[in-house]
Amino acid sequence: MYIQEKVGKRNPFRVPEGYFDNLTAQVLQNLPEQPKRRAKSVFMRPVFYAAASVCALLVAGAAWMWQSKTEVSPATSVQAKVENHVQQSDNEEYMDEAVDYMMLDNHEIYAYLAEN
Amino acid sequence: MDKRREFESIVREYSEQLYWQIRRIVLTHDDANDVLQNTFLKAWNGFDNFHGESKISTWLSRIAINESLDFLRRNKHLGSATSDDLSVANSLLADDYFDGNETEAMLQQAVSQLPDVQRTVFQLRYFEEMKYSDISQLLDTSEGALKASYHIAVKKITEFFKSRD
Repeated sequence: MYIQEKVGKRNPFRVPEGYFDNLTAQVLQNLPEQPKRRAKSVFMRPVFYAAASVCALLVAGAAWMWQSKTEVSPATSVQAKVENHVQQSDNEEYMDEAVDYMMLDNHEIYAYLAEN
Repeated sequence: MDKRREFESIVREYSEQLYWQIRRIVLTHDDANDVLQNTFLKAWNGFDNFHGESKISTWLSRIAINESLDFLRRNKHLGSATSDDLSVANSLLADDYFDGNETEAMLQQAVSQLPDVQRTVFQLRYFEEMKYSDISQLLDTSEGALKASYHIAVKKITEFFKSRD
């Protein structure tokens, strides 16, 4: 491996003399006698309830709109299904073409994601 | 065993190992010491919630690495650099607690330019020779993604050196 030949694996970092001998004592000195439990905050509670109410309203509104959209006549429904199927086939073909074009395998996808 | 005594034996057993994990990320001794103290403070405060779901060493290392990366994000001017400047290498060469040569300082410079995950995986794999399965538990990332990260990190560091040869 290039890096190993060039640099090696030696640890170039040093610590002050006796640092590790006193470390345990130093760490314990900085700890409170008992673990600090995180107290439940009541300060933000009204804000939390208001946010929860807004979310509930949004979900209810979205559900109502979705329900009214799906109520269509049987004729329209069949037509919509046919159109939807054609659209879906087009999408699948497009995706296959795109994947073939890019020739990505899992490793490259991982590499791409890791780089970003 | 009394809880504090139990924690004391944990500190004794793992502090040195954690120190080196932190030091390789934050680079200077003073910063590594501060981050290590915070790591044990967090571990102590969360000690009651640790029920052995993972190994204690994994749990502590996870806290240590998160604390180190948080430290770097808060102090962006330290330990990370743009591709042009050599500030990390230069400050290491001037540091009393760094006795590496110029090439070793340049390796740290190259590593400091990597994104967080690549940087952490490289340090754990290259210097500590940690298994991918262990790093996977530590960083909660799949082994495949970690192998890819390491591969990219090695490639970038190699390019860094070759461009300066």
